Amino acid sequence: MDIVIVGFGTVGQGVAEALSRKAPTLQSAFKEKLRVVGVFDSKSYDVSPKGLDPREVAGRKQKLGRVGPELNGKGVLEILEEVDYDVMVEVTPTNIKDSEPGFSNMMFALSSGRDVVTANKGPLALKFKELSRTAEKNGGRLRFEASVGGATPVINLSREILMGERILSIRGIVNGTCNFILNRMKDEGLPFDQALREAQEMGYAERDPSYDIDGIDSAAKAAILANAIFRRDVTFHDVRRTGIRGVSLEAVELAAEERKVVRLIAEVSESRLEVSPRLVPIGHPLAIGGTLNIFQLMTDLAGDITVAGHGAGKMETASAILSDIVALLKEDCASRKKEA
Amino acid sequence: MRVHADLRLKDVPGQLVRALEPISTSEGNIVGVVHHHDAVIGGRITVNVTFEVKSQKQLERILADWKERDVDVARLSSMFETFEFEYLIVGDIPPAELRELTDGIESMEDLDAVDIRYSVSPATGEKAAMIFGKVKQKSAMGRVEDFLRQRSMQAGFLLISGLGD
Ligand SMILES: NC(=O)c1ccc[n+]([C@@H]2O[C@H](COP(=O)([O-])OP(=O)(O)OC[C@H]3O[C@@H](n4cnc5c(N)ncnc54)[C@H](OP(=O)(O)O)[C@@H]3O)[C@@H](O)[C@H]2O)c1
Repeated sequence: MDIVIVGFGTVGQGVAEALSRKAPTLQSAFKEKLRVVGVFDSKSYDVSPKGLDPREVAGRKQKLGRVGPELNGKGVLEILEEVDYDVMVEVTPTNIKDSEPGFSNMMFALSSGRDVVTANKGPLALKFKELSRTAEKNGGRLRFEASVGGATPVINLSREILMGERILSIRGIVNGTCNFILNRMKDEGLPFDQALREAQEMGYAERDPSYDIDGIDSAAKAAILANAIFRRDVTFHDVRRTGIRGVSLEAVELAAEERKVVRLIAEVSESRLEVSPRLVPIGHPLAIGGTLNIFQLMTDLAGDITVAGHGAGKMETASAILSDIVALLKEDCASRKKEA
Repeated sequence: MRVHADLRLKDVPGQLVRALEPISTSEGNIVGVVHHHDAVIGGRITVNVTFEVKSQKQLERILADWKERDVDVARLSSMFETFEFEYLIVGDIPPAELRELTDGIESMEDLDAVDIRYSVSPATGEKAAMIFGKVKQKSAMGRVEDFLRQRSMQAGFLLISGLGD
């Protein structure tokens, strides 16, 4: 399996490292060579049909700020035209306005029957149908476990392992920054602004925190869950969204007197698509603290199933991407066996 | 809601069917029927009927039907399954608004109880109100939610709802 990594920031470099570490085990398990044949960032690239050493490329990126020769005005896709690859790992920045450059990158790969593995929420939250139709039409596969819940395996759990279940609803905490802020307000009696500043100082929140605290990130993830698990045809704009800006310390304290905490919850079902602060009883799984992500799935046969894990981070997100690559390897291996 | 009724019927054939008909025609669900043939008082026998109805209105229709059919109801008891709701409202809530909110909820059908707690921070003047209550029908939960959503939107309050389970 020949892989190109498009976007070589935190997650892209994590994927490179994960592949270096795990390739030997995976190659012997699936009897297939696993090679990285191309790496791209916004300004430079490196390609080799024989395979690059992903760790070396990551080292170069960290030292020089680029992965190889400059693109020099050439587009990533122009260069990719000349590269022979099977899977595109698309990890450029999420763009919730027009989904670029991720959308064009993914469409380019899918329309030529290649597979795409991504953590990029923008295209999935805005143009899911177009992507999945293109994949289906051309025989490419689109996988995106890392786009929701980071390392927490909610998408593949729902779509594959729980395929026989009817999933009635999913409720989850999908933004670690908001959870950190709400938790600090309750535990330390910090007003909202101060808890937000602390989250920024610790590197959880961006300088412009709107993406997290106005529920934009959570709403993008809710839309992805609705499309992928409930087979709805929605975009980010269809999500009823309320962020946590208005949650005052007084409100958090009044809730605590009633043994409740406030949590930003994404709720998705066939009829519901919402992100909003909710009252959660202390001791309930969704009352989880820290920056963890958690999902509670209500199903018809199994009842409630809860999964929790790290929602972000270099290796955590890379782990989810790797799980998708493994799923592709497994499928390929099974179809080779069938043919034989 | 589940209803237990002790009915006193004339001890002549066909009376039991006549008594149960109003339940089935109004789409109630009969859970059990117990006859007491041995206890005939004033020419009437006692029958205990247990059934389920969806609303008070449905029960009232059955009672009216029985009256018309001369079915004597000696004893009636009912038990509600209740659904709890809770909301936290955040913003500059004037005390008069609290009255309006509780009045609005109190006037709703199928409400069992509603309670409100109001709190103002002595340090910052921030206000918050917690509203709890119970309804006798799951569908009433939606009505409470719609009402609070609408009022919060008009007044610019943040509405934080419970998980609803
Ligand atoms: N970080 C996490 O924990 C996490 C978790 C879940 C999902 N995600 C998603 O994963 C994706 C990557 O996140 P990240 O944290 O790795 O972001 P990042 O550190 O900002 O890296 C983005 C990378 O994309 C490159 N890039 C930007 N525009 C490009 C273009 N037009 N063509 C090619 N490459 C381009 C950047 O190039 P330069 O290096 O030249 O700037 C950079 O290497 C995002 O969509 C994010 O939402 C991240």
